[in-house]
This record gives sequence, structure tokens and C-alpha cells, in this order.
Amino acid sequence: MIGVYREFEGCTRLMGHVLRRLRVLALPPVAESLIRQIYFTGASATAGMVLRGAFLGTLIIAYVIDVLDANSALAVKILIWVVLREIGPLIAAVLVIQRSGTAIATELALMQISGEVANLRRMRIDPRDYLVVPRVVGVALSTAALTFYVQVIAVGGGMLLSALTIDASLGQLANDFFLLASPVDFAYSMIKSLLFGVAIAVICCYHGLHPPGVSINAVPKAAINAVTQSTLLVMLLNVIFAYLVFGQAFFGLVTAKL
Amino acid sequence: MSHADPAAGSDSDSRHPAHARVALGYEPPAGEDGRIWIPKGGNHRVAGLSDARKARLLGAVLDLKSELGARLVLLGLEVDGLGPAERAALRARVAFLPADGGLLSNLNAWENIVLPLGFHAPKRMHGAAAEVNGLLEELGADPRGLLDKLPERMSAYEKKLAGYVRILLENPELVLVEDLLGGLDAADRAGAAGFLPAYQARCPGGTFVQIEGSPEA
Repeated sequence: MIGVYREFEGCTRLMGHVLRRLRVLALPPVAESLIRQIYFTGASATAGMVLRGAFLGTLIIAYVIDVLDANSALAVKILIWVVLREIGPLIAAVLVIQRSGTAIATELALMQISGEVANLRRMRIDPRDYLVVPRVVGVALSTAALTFYVQVIAVGGGMLLSALTIDASLGQLANDFFLLASPVDFAYSMIKSLLFGVAIAVICCYHGLHPPGVSINAVPKAAINAVTQSTLLVMLLNVIFAYLVFGQAFFGLVTAKL
Repeated sequence: MSHADPAAGSDSDSRHPAHARVALGYEPPAGEDGRIWIPKGGNHRVAGLSDARKARLLGAVLDLKSELGARLVLLGLEVDGLGPAERAALRARVAFLPADGGLLSNLNAWENIVLPLGFHAPKRMHGAAAEVNGLLEELGADPRGLLDKLPERMSAYEKKLAGYVRILLENPELVLVEDLLGGLDAADRAGAAGFLPAYQARCPGGTFVQIEGSPEA
């Protein structure tokens, strides 16, 4: 229990440091590190993520249409509720954890164990400024961008599939989509994915900078802790967000009177 | 070169320390050996330290935190009496070159060299390329062959060289170099011998201290 409290406190302090020290992003080495992080998380992962997003989005729509025998309006509502609000940010977050979260935790744990973090301190550079701030900002922006890609591809793929499988044209589906979708849905998913990205990066950086030991065995342990905890936190944030914004959680199983 | 051998006690300034003239003074807690008293300027060598004592000395100097009962004087200032801002300003005047060069493995030599400059003097980044090239040439190295290399592809000497150029860019008043010649062959040792003249030319009056472990440790 004390360990959990320490990790929570450590992550909170790290988050506080990031918020206080955002100005270091103007320094050339930190700006370069930010660009690298955005490239690694947001750009080089795009093809794989978009492909997976398209598969999942299309699959969800195909199942729902088949099970519910849906018309065009219902198909579009499901696209908005499920893909735009929930699945898009979640898929992006899970893929970011898989790819960048493990990389961050492993890289930082190796740097800590090999003495490179200590070398930074000896150069009078705060490791949190150089290693954590650009990663948190980069992963947050990249998660939001990937969420947008996944949403566009999954919704587009879903509408294409719907047009082929139900009695509705693509134009009609698109018309329904623009009538039913509101800016709130988009803002909700973007804010949520930004928060997911921040949570993932802070937890992975924390575990990377605090590996459970000084031997090489501590590196995979740090990565496992980072992935497990960031996945849990993303799920928890998703539930809290859904409850606060729409008064429902777990896809409507828990509801509140708003 | 003077020798500040901790096992042998201290140099002539130790009985009546004139702080203003002390570059590095370290007195361990009462009852322990290892008093070090190094005057400002010139080249000094602290030899025969065990790994533990070397780590304690470097920890005290680089973190500006002496152990309970120990005393640390750095560049004429008693560290214990300084506030956080004064400590930070004092620490900026001291540089350390670890035995392995202290490079980050995911940055190439150029990025490693200018990393502290980017943090502490970003305005100097524009002229950094010419400055780094000039320093490397002065130390007998070919900048084109070195600057793109990642540490994993550098020799032990090239790592020390990159780390040393990084230090020189900051113009420190006190340079601590750990095992300068350790792990180098004869040709590289000749190259490393040029480190001190390059420092003295760049920072006249600066203090260069080589810290070496005990051969039997």
C-alpha cells in the first residue's frame, strides 16, 4: 500500500514538474527531443495504427449492423457513440502504450542503470527537464493526433461498410453523420486523448526513472509496471470522463441523472 | 604538477588555509584520513583513492553536499555557508570529466558536446559549430570523423575527447578529470596529454585536477 502511495505521489510530483517547467521546451536540446518524440509516437507509428483502427472500426460496425439490423441513422449514431467518443481514443491510447510507453520506460530505466541520468545531473541538467517534459508533451500531442487519424479512418471505413451492407447511400450516411455529430463529441475525444497521452507518458517516465533495482533485470520490470499501470489509469480515466460528461459509464451500465 | 596525495596529508597551505587561494579543499569527518587541499591554478593530481573515497569526494564536490562532520571548500568558498542560489552559481564554475567521457548513448558526439550549452547558454549555440571544430582541431582530432558518431562507435579516447570538449565550452574555473589516461593506448595517451594545454590556453588561471584511483583498489 505504501508502495502504491509512493508511486502515486511520485507521478503527481512529476506531473507538477512538467506543468511548471513547460518553458524548457524553448531550449534547443529539449525542442529536438520533443520533435523526436512526436516523430516516433505520432508519425512513424501512423501507418500501423491507422490500419488497426480501420480494421477495428469496420469490425465494430459490421457486427452492430448485423446484430441490430440497423438503419442508416442508427449506424451513424453507433459510429459516433462508440468509435468517435470511446473506441478511437482508447485504441490510440492502447497502441501508444504498446509502442511508445514500453520504449520510454525501457530507455529511461537503461539510462538510469547505466549512469547516464547521473551524467545529466553532473552537467547541471535536471533529468526531468530533458527526459520527461518533451516526452510528456510529445506523447500527449501524438496521442491526440493518432486518435484523430483512428477516428477518421474508423468512421470512414464504418460508413463505407455500412453503405455496402444496409439500404443507405454513402451520401445519406455522411449527411446523418454531420447532423448527429456535435463539436462536443470531437472536443470530448480530443481532450480525453490528450489526458490519456499525459497519463501514459508520466507513468512510463516515472517507472523508467525509478527502476526497481540497479541490475539489468530491473529494466523489463520497469516496463511491465509502466504498461500495467498506464493501461489501468487510461481505463479509469475513460470511465471517469464518460461519467462526468455523459452521466454514464461502462457503456451505459452505470448511469447518473444529469 | 603538484600531487595532493590524500594518504600523505596535505600541501603547505593546509595549516593556515587561505580560502581565497583554495581551489578544492576537503576535510573528511574527524578521525578519518583523506584531507585534500589544492591551491588555485595549475595542474594537480589526487592519487591513491579507493573507489569508495573517490565516490565520496566526487559526490561532495559535484553535489556540493559534504557528509556530516566533513568540510568542503571550493574555489575559495566554504560550501556549508552557502545558500541554494550561491551553490548553483558555484557549481557552474566546476566541471567534471568521468573516466568514460560521460556521454549519452542515444546522442551523437556533436549532440553530446553541445547539450550543456543548449541548456545553460542557448544563445551561444549559433557559434558553437565553429568553436567545437576549432577545439577538436586544437586537440588533434578530425571533427568530420567524430561529430556524427554515436558513443557505441567511438573509441575510449574519442569518448574522453568529446566529453572534454563539452567541458571546455563551459570555461570552468576548476576541472576534475577522472582517470585521464586510464584505458588508453600509447598513441591516445599522447593525445590526452594535450588536454591540459588546451584548458590552460582557454582558461588561464584555471585549476586542472586529475583524480586517480588506487592501483590495488
